[in-house]
Amino acid sequence: MSKGEIVAGYLAPHPPHLVYGENPEQNEARSQGGWEQLRWAYERARASLEELKPDVLLVHSPHWITQQGHHFLGVKDLSGKSVDPIFPNLFRYNFELEVDVELAEACCANGAEMGLTTKMMRNPNFRVDYGTITTLHMIRPQWDIPVVGISANNSPYYLSTKEGLEEMDVLGKATRKAIEDSGRRAVLLASNTLCHYHFSVEPVPPEDMAQEHPENYAGYLWDMRMIELLRQGKISEVFELLPQFIDEAFAEVKSGAFTWMFSAMEYPELAGELHGYGTVIGTGNAVMEWNLIKAGLAKAA
Amino acid sequence: MTVVSAFMLPGSPLPYVQRDNPPWGHIADGMDAAARALAESRPDTIIMYSTAWIAVLDQLWQTKAHLQDVHVDENWHEYGDLPFDIHTDVELAEACVSATNDAGIKSKGVDYDKFPIDTGSIVAANFLNADKQCKFVITANNVYHDWKMTEQLGRIAAEQAQKLGRKIAVVVSGGLSGSIFRNSINIADDHIASSEEDEWNMRILGLMEGGDCAGLLAVCPEYAAAAKVDMGFKHMAFLLGAIGGDFSAAKVHAYGPLYGSGGAVVEFSV
Repeated sequence: MSKGEIVAGYLAPHPPHLVYGENPEQNEARSQGGWEQLRWAYERARASLEELKPDVLLVHSPHWITQQGHHFLGVKDLSGKSVDPIFPNLFRYNFELEVDVELAEACCANGAEMGLTTKMMRNPNFRVDYGTITTLHMIRPQWDIPVVGISANNSPYYLSTKEGLEEMDVLGKATRKAIEDSGRRAVLLASNTLCHYHFSVEPVPPEDMAQEHPENYAGYLWDMRMIELLRQGKISEVFELLPQFIDEAFAEVKSGAFTWMFSAMEYPELAGELHGYGTVIGTGNAVMEWNLIKAGLAKAA
Repeated sequence: MTVVSAFMLPGSPLPYVQRDNPPWGHIADGMDAAARALAESRPDTIIMYSTAWIAVLDQLWQTKAHLQDVHVDENWHEYGDLPFDIHTDVELAEACVSATNDAGIKSKGVDYDKFPIDTGSIVAANFLNADKQCKFVITANNVYHDWKMTEQLGRIAAEQAQKLGRKIAVVVSGGLSGSIFRNSINIADDHIASSEEDEWNMRILGLMEGGDCAGLLAVCPEYAAAAKVDMGFKHMAFLLGAIGGDFSAAKVHAYGPLYGSGGAVVEFSV
């Protein structure tokens, strides 16, 4: 078996509005569109993913929150209807997904060996969270690539941001080793919004784009500053600024996916490709890609 | 009298899914005692506020007439399923939506198949209403609502019950101290993770038992911060709003650890 590798990482946020705006058959709610800038960004990301030909997609979602350890989906076939508890009017999605249980178990075991509390989720009645489903739908609506779903342990909130993100760094290292040992070609999906200040009132209709703009100007400026650094490949500087960004922009990257992904990729000083940026109910969302094949850090299929 | 009984319960599923573990079984026994007391008070409807049902945009009220499904807790999935079968007092729930909107608290009803019912609501419903004699009005914990607004929600809910001639039991699902064990423990040895928080919890429960509502209110902000109390102890605000701001005494049916955090089953004399 050849050594597995991470072929790309994506910042792949999960506002359910994007699924709602697209009107896929799996989602019950219907719309007149909306959030096109972000949906077109995901179209570009989908085309790029197609070329990568990955064996597996790994997604870390802030809407599967766990307190005792980092958990991994561990049932091969999961299906059901996922209803967003915050936006049930927009997201009622019938999903079916296949889990790469072998790789999930390896990530779980490696994490434990590296000192983390980890756990496999074996209950077949488990309801997969809407963050995982939205990110997976937006990046690969065909649902034909197995996935590894990873929970967001609440350590950055329960402990300090620094202590929590140190755990996510270890989780990333455990993930990388598991992928290398598996022989898989893997894509990482960090399901995170940037600035997370949001409006408290939903427009009528929700897709009225005349109402959509950044909720917070300072947060928007932070998003632009961080995206510009990411586009320039100044990853060390991004991570130096990350705690301040989290505090001042209420950034959802605090939940750990972004750190997990970059740790797994070994924090390459690599320019990210911005597929697009847009706001959703005021929050800042960027779809970005770090293609390790184009950078010569991974092999083409 | 509209409010015929009032209870505070922990929302953790552990006493329900693993009651043969002594620390959690003690709390399950307390839940059973609360269920008996609730049944004796003969309410028409249970009005329930759950800290585990998180809302962000509006104040949400469950308005689906019949909720029946199986839930799996996001963290404690290895202990099995949480089946539920809950009937909603739709008329009262819709009255609460309307009245809270009139009061300037933006609210809406939730009536969707497969809407994710939170663990705390399910645990409370399964313990307190096992024979399904009562209907429920279940409302969410909007994380942006403060103590005063949450108290107002409780008050409005009770007022609407009175207008409709309902006798209600007020149930708030929420925990006490919030420090937890983050790593696996021998569950038989579960205990309150922090001795300081344990002391705070017992002080608060003592104030409740003594009917010292003023004393309780005075220390709630300090308690919430010092003991990392579940959602800033806002569930107590809802309860106090619903019961008119005062109680004469309380009976602590159980107090104990839930993987390090504090939980108590308390019946308030109203």
